[in-house]
Formats: sequence, C-alpha cells, structure tokens
Amino acid sequence: MPASASSNFPADLIGRLSSVDGGAKIKALREVKNQIIGNRTKKVYYIKLGLVPSVVSVLSTASDSDSDLLIQAAAVVGSFSCGVEAGVEAVLSAGALPHLLRLLSSPDEKVVDACARALRMIYRSKRAPKYDFLQGQNMSFLLSLLNSDNENVTGLGASITSHSCQTSAEQKALYDAGVVKKLVSLLQGSLSQRDASLESLAILIKNNHEVISKFVGPESGSALSSVIELTKDKNARTRLLACMCLIVIRNGSLCYLEDVGIRNTLVTVLLGLFDDPGQVGDEAFFALASLISDNEDLQKVAFEAGAVDKLRVHLQRNPSHARRLQGILVALAELGSKLESCRSNILSLQVLKSVTDALTHESTEVRAAACICLRSVSRSVKNLSAGSFTDEMIVVPLVQLLHDHSTCVQVAALGAISNIVVDFSVRKSTFMRCGGLKQLVQLAKSMDSTVRLNTAWALRNLVFLADSKRKDMIYSELGAFTFVNLICDHEPSVQEHALALVRNLVDGSIHHVEYAFAEDGVIFQAVGKQLQSALNSEVWIQGMYVLSNLASGAEVHKESVLEILLQQPGKGTQSPLLKFLRSNDSRLRTVTVWAIINLTFPSSPGAFGRVVRLRGASIFSQLKTMVNDPCLDVKLRVRTALGQYLTFVDDSA
Amino acid sequence: MPVRVVNSATPSQVPGENSGHTSRPSCSLLSVGQAFSGTQNVSSQQKDEAWRVNVRIQGCDLDHGYLCGTMEALNVPLADTPVVTFWEGEIVDAKNYTFFTGKWEATRPEDDIRHWTKFPSFSPLMSQVEVDGGKSLDLSNYPYIFMRWKEQYFVNVGTDCGLTIAGFYYVCFSCSDGSINGFYYDPNSSPFQKLELKVTNEGRSGFSFSSYELQ
Repeated sequence: MPASASSNFPADLIGRLSSVDGGAKIKALREVKNQIIGNRTKKVYYIKLGLVPSVVSVLSTASDSDSDLLIQAAAVVGSFSCGVEAGVEAVLSAGALPHLLRLLSSPDEKVVDACARALRMIYRSKRAPKYDFLQGQNMSFLLSLLNSDNENVTGLGASITSHSCQTSAEQKALYDAGVVKKLVSLLQGSLSQRDASLESLAILIKNNHEVISKFVGPESGSALSSVIELTKDKNARTRLLACMCLIVIRNGSLCYLEDVGIRNTLVTVLLGLFDDPGQVGDEAFFALASLISDNEDLQKVAFEAGAVDKLRVHLQRNPSHARRLQGILVALAELGSKLESCRSNILSLQVLKSVTDALTHESTEVRAAACICLRSVSRSVKNLSAGSFTDEMIVVPLVQLLHDHSTCVQVAALGAISNIVVDFSVRKSTFMRCGGLKQLVQLAKSMDSTVRLNTAWALRNLVFLADSKRKDMIYSELGAFTFVNLICDHEPSVQEHALALVRNLVDGSIHHVEYAFAEDGVIFQAVGKQLQSALNSEVWIQGMYVLSNLASGAEVHKESVLEILLQQPGKGTQSPLLKFLRSNDSRLRTVTVWAIINLTFPSSPGAFGRVVRLRGASIFSQLKTMVNDPCLDVKLRVRTALGQYLTFVDDSA
Repeated sequence: MPVRVVNSATPSQVPGENSGHTSRPSCSLLSVGQAFSGTQNVSSQQKDEAWRVNVRIQGCDLDHGYLCGTMEALNVPLADTPVVTFWEGEIVDAKNYTFFTGKWEATRPEDDIRHWTKFPSFSPLMSQVEVDGGKSLDLSNYPYIFMRWKEQYFVNVGTDCGLTIAGFYYVCFSCSDGSINGFYYDPNSSPFQKLELKVTNEGRSGFSFSSYELQ
C-alpha cells in the first residue's frame, strides 16, 4: 500500500495502530520504530501528535501470547523514552509503567528483554516515579530483578536503585536487604551489568559513613578490591564509573583510601579518560574536580601528574559541547583553588584568554563555571598585585555578567569580581572605568540576599586601600543610605560585609573618618545600632573594627565612639565594651582592646578624660584580669592599653 | 597595684616529630594593609648611607606560612624616583618553614645562625635551632615572628636601574609594637645591611586596620 502524504501519515498511523488486524498493528509499529530511532525531532513530532497513547494501548490490549506485538510495542515505548523527557512523560501519562512491569514475568524471554530495556529508558529520567523500596513487597521485587538470569532485567534492577535511592534510611535498608551484596556480585558479570552495578553502588553508599564502612569492610568480601580492579578495565566507561565509585567512598569518609597508590591511580586514570571524545571524557573532568575538591594533597598529586597542562590542551581545542567545556573549567577551578603553585602554572600557560572567552558562552552553566575558574585563580595575591587581572578583556565581560538573566551567573561573577577588585596600586581601577560600580549600586538593592551579600563583599574589597578619589566616587554613587541599608540588612552575613566595607572606608587618610559622620552621622548611628542588636560574633568584630578605626581619628570622633561603647542598653546590663572584652572569641577581645588603645592614645588632648570615664566603667579592672590572656595578641594589646593607662594615673588601688 | 605578669619569653618545645599542632603566629600588626616605615642602612667601607623605606603588607596566608607585600626605597642615589619592589615572605613557623633557609645561596646552617643570632629575641631558641633548625619548636605563643623576605621583581623600574634584588632579608617582627628588624643577605653585597621599620599610623591618633577577604 503506498505511503500516505505526510500530512495524513500520523492520523493514518493512529488508525492502523487501533486496527483489529494484528499484522497491520505490527507493521505500523515497525514503521514508527524505524522513523524515530535516533531521531529526536521525529520523536517530538509524534509525541505532539498524540501517537504515544495508541502505542501504549497496543501494549495493554494485546494478549500475553502475542509476543511479536508486545515486543514491537515495548520497543517503540522504549524508543520514545530514550533521551526525550517529553517522551517519558507521555509514556507515563498513557499508563505504560504497570504493563511493562507485569510483562517482566512473561515466559517469552524476548518480551522480557524488550520490556526491561524500555523500563531502563524510563528509569533514566527524573520524571519516572520514585520506587518506594520500603513499601510492601517492593524490596523483594527489586531483589528478584537483581537475581534474574536476564542481563537486561538485572540492569533494570540496578537502574531502579540508582534512580530512586535518595535517603540514608533507604541506603541502609537496601544494604540490609542484600542489594549491595548482589550488586557487588554483578561486578563480575557482563560489561552492561558491571557498569549498571558501579553506577548504582556509588549512589547506594554516597555520603553514608555507616554503609561505606561496611562496604569496605570484611563483611562485603572483596568489594573494594573489585572496584579498584575495574579502574584498569579496558572499557573507558567502566574505568570512569569505578573511579566515581571510589571518589564517593573517599569523599564520604576520609579515613578510607588514604593509600597513596590508589590516589595516584585515580588521578592517572581520570587524566587518561580526558582523551575520550564522548560523554565519558566529559564526565571525567567533573570526576577529577570532585576527587580533588577541598583537598590540597590531592590537588598537589594532580598538579604533579600534569593535570594543568592536559586541561589547557583540552580547553584550547575549543570544545563545542557545553558540558565538556563546563567540566574543564570546573576542574581548573578546583586545581587552582588552594595552591599558589597551581595557580601560577595555570596563569603562566595563558589559559586566561580561553577562560574569559567562556564568559560570553551561550550556556549558563559554562558562564558560571568560567567565573568560578577566574575566582579561583584570582586568589593569587602575587598576581593581583602584579595587575594580572586588570585587563579589559577580563573585566568587561565580567561586568556584563552582573546583569545576566541567571542569578547564579550574577553571583558567580560577583565572586570573581570580589577578588579582582583588590587593588594595591594607585592606578585607576579598570573595574570602575568599565562601569562596574553602577552595577554594584543596583545589585546592592537586590531582593536576593545572596546577591546582596556578594555585592557587599565586592564593595568591601574594592574600597580596601582605595585613595580619596575612589572613595569619594563610591560614597557618592552608593549614597549614605545604601550603606545603612546594607549594615541593617536582615542577613547577618550581609551585615558583616557591610561593616567591613565601612571599616575599609574610614581607614587610610585621617579625613576618611568623616564618611561615617557625614549627613548627620547616619552611617555611624547604624553601626552603633547594629552592635547593640546583633547576635553574631562576626558582625560584632567588624563593627568594633569600624569603631576602633574611628577612634584613631580626631577628638570629636573618639568622644562619639566612647559614648556608644559605654552605653548600657538597659538597667543592670553590660556596656558593649565590657561585653566584648569578656567574649570567648579572641578576635573580638583583640579589636576591643585596640579601641581602648585608640581612645586613650597618649598624644590626644582628651585622652585623660576618657581614661577617667573608662576607669569609672570598670574597664581597666577588666583589663587587669586579662594580662595573661591565653591569646598572645590579646595579651600584648592589654599590656599596651594598661601601659598607656599607667601614664595617666597613679594606680595604687 | 602592678599585676604580676607571666613572662613566656621562652617558647615551649614539643617533643618528638613536628606534629599537626597549629603553630600559627597571630598578630594584628602583621596583617594585610599594614604599613611600616624606617630605614635600610646600606653603608659600605667607602661611605655611610641609608635609604628611607616604606613597606606595605598585601597578602597573608598563615596556614602556608606566606606573606607578601611591597617595599619602597626612597632617596636611592641611582634612581630618579622611589624604587618599589614586590617581595614574598616565608614565616618560620616550624610547620611550613624552619630557621634553615636551604636556598638563595644561604644553604649552610651556620650562615643562617650567624644572621638569626643578630636578633636578641633569637637567643632562647638557639640551642634547639642548632639541633634541628627549630622544627620541634612551638612558636605560636612567642612574641616575635621570624621570617625571610625575598624581593621578586621591580614594580616601577627596570632591572637596569643599577640596583640588585638577588639577596633576601632575615627578618624579626615584634608582635608587641610591630617593629621590624632585618638583615640583608647577599654574598655579592656588603654584609649585614640593616633594615629597621616601625608601624606607621599615617597621621592618625592611634591604629587603624583595614582588610580584604578573597572568595
């Protein structure tokens, strides 16, 4: 029969799928299968045209003995679900799941195969319903899948486990039911079983110290050594999955896998996997990043194994696949996160150009990863000092990302900018020249507290050691009330950075103190108010640094600071000064004593009067109890303060 | 009434191998943004000469025993402008670095000891340093911080300015008043050129502290 014109074809197909003639149905199914296999566009087209319910209907209405029909229907369902979320959704909505599961017990092995393969496609998707292991007979059913002789069925059991195991209670239940043990035995099975098992094991033990210790212990036999052996398998995907399993063990429980040999093997295998051009290579970059994350020793191992150069080579090949590019950038970011030697190496290899190019990539994840990479390498004070990040090539795209549509990218850009604006020189800031300040002024008013926090952070660093000209510009663009709003933000972390910003603002030349007292002293009052109402050490510390810096100014400033510090918020309560001197936090005690040193600085005319008031508030008696403070810094400052005190009074009491 | 003060001038010794004790010296005067000024004596047999010097701390990573900053030398005869260099410091904390240099043409312990002994605050430590370079010392409560400062490059002049940065400084920092003393070591220059610096208040009536935090 000649094929219908394409506009009638889907309707015709639906008709044939509903036909009573089994032969016609099979033919229609075969046609659909051949059209959609490997063809995402066709899949989406047929899904939109409502073909899926008809296919699922074939599955549900066919008799159990109609093997050919069932096999073809299952294959089409599987194909629709393969890599197309809308397909999975359509298949599930049409009620395919219970039929496929039921048909797993078909006496026909080919039917079982087709259904298992279709179910595996479905369970690869997040849209598949969560399998409740703890309910009824579900655990037994799962175990029956894992105990099957059929490779696709055992693979399905592993996929369901990977998909649905989410809590530590489930991890424990699955371990206790013998699922882990069964998966370990599958490590000796076929390639497909090994890979499915490795993927599942990683999820079953992730972040669960108890399960990990059992997994690596004698009760699991040689589970650990089987996984280690698989890092040398000839199949690249198996090597990657084995590494990822070991990384999960290492990250979940630092006392395991300390062995230098295993660490070196992991690094070497992963670096080798970079060369795989497909998905295995893409994921290898992420796996390395995960292995070395927050771990200086492992970063050093990776560095010495030549990781930086390998990453540079892959980066400069300009990968077209966004996931791969993201992975390379994330791995570079982790490598440069703690060690100056790594950062210097990354910078010396002129990788910066490729990283900054990625700042304008169409993928959100790539742009964010490029910012994170820049943030890492700009931790190098040596390079900040040398002006390595002042090039417009870096600053301009970063400033543009401050109004990216993705908040995640904005925050990542703010992170990199926070470092890059630390400027020790008197040269005009590239960041300000490129209009960055205006962006920060806007972002300081964001509804998103993470954005406000990172903005305050960037401003604080921008103001560090800034000259009068830069400070004037920042003060006038932001306005006193923006400072006040940030200081009084409801998030303590924002308050902390806002106070640190003011600390830097009033440091430097003595007339910078005036910023806090301008416009009826709104900023000064906000600082005082925050010190009274905050409950957070970090906020108190930065607030006290502001006051201490102000107390190194003129007489009028010292008097204002003393007023606030001796204020008693209520009857019988301590003054802030006494409260902070008695703090458990040595950093807070230190800065409080500095404030006292400044208030009683001998060369200032009103020092004696302030000494008398402080004595009246029992401050010096408190200091005398601190001459042997366990913190050296506190001890030395107390002695200085008392030394100054003794130049004013003959204290024989 | 004067309060009895416990003087812990001699640091305690930690028996055995240098373990994971945190011998992080912590001193608010040795922190980023701090400025110091004073002189470097560059006298030789031919003449007496001293340059005014300003130092600013730019980076401080106590976990790795690392410090860095700039040094500005004024009234340098061969230069038209003040000469600025960037230096990096190693903090002798017994964890990251010991008193033995082992590089920069100062590879003999006796050269190190000859310089460190020029600081009076070093004498209580001498006997232990002679044994093992001081790696079993707990310096976390010692009121002096010992460092080596090595200039890395000229910031504002060329290498043909007639000045050298081939050597390094042995440095002693006093935690109580922030004063810095140092001796320049370079086998090709006059020995024991002395660096003496004090904390600058930059016109203020007291001490002011700024900071940055890298993400």
